[in-house]
Amino acid sequence: MRLLKRPFRRLLTGLDAVLTRLYGWERNPIHQAGTVAVAMLLVLLGTGLYLVLYYRVGSPAASVARLAADPWLGGWMRTLHRYATDVFVIAAVLHATRMFTQDRSWGPRTLAWMSGLFLFGAGLICAWTGFVMAWDTFGERLALEGGRLLDVLPIFSEPLSRIFAGDGPVPSAFFFVNLFVHIALPLGLGAGLWLHVSRLARPVLLPPRRLMWGIIGALTIASVLLPAPLGPAADPLRLAPSTPTDLVVAWWLPISERLPAGLAWSTVVAVTLLALLVPRLTRRPREGRWAPSTVDPRLCTGCNQCPQDCPWEAITMVARDDDRPTLVARVNPSRCVSCGICAGSCAPMGVGPPGRSGRDQLTEVRELVRSGFPGNGPLPPIAICCSQAPAAHLAALQARGVRIHQVQCIGNLHSSVIELFIRNGAPGVLVCGCPPRDCVGREGPKWLLQRIFNEREAELQPRVDRRRVRIATLSPGDLAGAVAAFEAFARELAALAPPEPDRAAEIDTVCDPVPLEEAAT
Amino acid sequence: MNLARVLAAGTATTAGLALLALSSAAPLGYHAQDTARLRLSWSARPERIEVCRQLSTEEQARREEHMRQRVECEGVFATYVLRVEVDGGAIGVTVIRGAGLRHDRPLYLLRDYPVPPGQHRVRVSLTRREKTDDGAAAFAEAVVPEADTGLFAGRAQREATERARRTRAAIPPSLVLDTTFAFTPRQVALVTFNAERRILEVHAEVLRQ
Repeated sequence: MRLLKRPFRRLLTGLDAVLTRLYGWERNPIHQAGTVAVAMLLVLLGTGLYLVLYYRVGSPAASVARLAADPWLGGWMRTLHRYATDVFVIAAVLHATRMFTQDRSWGPRTLAWMSGLFLFGAGLICAWTGFVMAWDTFGERLALEGGRLLDVLPIFSEPLSRIFAGDGPVPSAFFFVNLFVHIALPLGLGAGLWLHVSRLARPVLLPPRRLMWGIIGALTIASVLLPAPLGPAADPLRLAPSTPTDLVVAWWLPISERLPAGLAWSTVVAVTLLALLVPRLTRRPREGRWAPSTVDPRLCTGCNQCPQDCPWEAITMVARDDDRPTLVARVNPSRCVSCGICAGSCAPMGVGPPGRSGRDQLTEVRELVRSGFPGNGPLPPIAICCSQAPAAHLAALQARGVRIHQVQCIGNLHSSVIELFIRNGAPGVLVCGCPPRDCVGREGPKWLLQRIFNEREAELQPRVDRRRVRIATLSPGDLAGAVAAFEAFARELAALAPPEPDRAAEIDTVCDPVPLEEAAT
Repeated sequence: MNLARVLAAGTATTAGLALLALSSAAPLGYHAQDTARLRLSWSARPERIEVCRQLSTEEQARREEHMRQRVECEGVFATYVLRVEVDGGAIGVTVIRGAGLRHDRPLYLLRDYPVPPGQHRVRVSLTRREKTDDGAAAFAEAVVPEADTGLFAGRAQREATERARRTRAAIPPSLVLDTTFAFTPRQVALVTFNAERRILEVHAEVLRQ
């Protein structure tokens, strides 16, 4: 599975870089693939409601042809409906590929993966029935292939394909059932979507407004200027030389038509099984990097911050079993994805994945300061980078004299680490994260920003000079942006007075109920 | 965003939309050649080849009341050889039988045969494979049960009527369509079974074209 993952990752990173170069990471649609798919579902719903008003199951081809010929509304609405379908499919595939390549398809995310597959499959069937509704040559081609595939299954008492043979008009009942499936499936999609995000805290369902309306606007303009052609009405007694085929939805059609029905089904079943097995095949042992967070009840003050910050609703507050009057955090390991965001949210450093809690981070930095930075030279600026940061960006920063310190995710980063670097003489700390919508921990950059500059709980202490701290975004395809951000920061640092190391100082742990030493033992 | 980037983004968006429009309705080859087709499509009941006998009063008495049929038949459903010839040459010879695991469902046929455009003599024959020299099929018709009285009055007649209806609804032992037909390029000539006239015929819609 890792071999399979590598080419996908390479492809996705390349595409990510190109799109970032074109639109900037703030508007990179690939980071919003899931929400774009949902936005397209809404477009499909809106345009579909209009189209269904004019659709006639008794004369499907004629009614769709009338719609297509309407220059005011029907024509572009039909095209927009089709383009939105295509964008939905593309966005859903990109979203699934991102989740797969970013190790976000197993463990607690299995439900989201499975429900996502259901949503995608239901979406494809919905698209299939939609094209059949038009009953042009392409719709007929899809119906014939569907009939051929269904006829090998013991479902229908009479082969479905015979109704398309031409010895009578295709019965209205067929188009009625087709329409029913086309309308009923989106209801299932709604339920599936609820399930899909049910394990997320604060699920984001729609892209940022500018991006969403930008995509819808662009598709509408394309629908007006480049209307999707409608093929000739289906005629079972004439062989069409070609069909206006939607390759985004039906790219598989020419392949499937050449395969025996049994082999086509075997392929579908094999691919579906493989997709369903992805959570099993990609899962990692819940230890080391993937160990779920734990809580040290002696340090927990019951402040209720980690449950608020956890993007997976994996932490709840429960009654303590000692005589302290507060509640204590409890991590549900089956919902914890080891993102470590709780480690950054806990002022007294009592929660986090093993080895990545605030205390572990401080221990590591103290060790680094002791061994890595000889006392006779000035400390260089520090860049605290996410483990997902592109290697080229890290090399560029290093080439400019920056010392790189990597953390799993910047959402893990405890603000005391920044303070410790600065109090040990670092002229400045550049915290480099992923684009907010590309964070594997979902909300790392968002919470970090609030902890450093907006006094969110576990905030960077007021005594730390904010001019020496900067947040930058490292995104593939935006090396220049990352370098520019650092150089601007370096210029500002140069204008400041040299830092005064305060290495003897211990970092205070706010609301610490037990001394650090005691807790460490 | 500088101007160059805006232009690049605009160009990429336009190209992306054009690509979307193109791939959304790409003319994909379907029936690339100009050949016509001969399509056979129908559904009909296969014949039941069976031997019938009349149950004696003692045999009937041993059965539950609701199972007391006067005439009991055993047998199989017929299978047929479908032979399709164009200009005297066979282009398809197949054995066909009723649908279902026991082949007791109607016989559904949907076959396409490519035929070059032009005038051709087409011969389609459907011939029962099972011989009925022993008179078994005829025997079902020949059995005339004794008349029932009392609770079962008229039952024997109803059974006989039903058997006769089934026989009439089934495909005849031999069906032949021998005709000359002018195929135009990409035309589908549809041959069906006319259940009322019990013959194979070219579909009227095709003849109008």
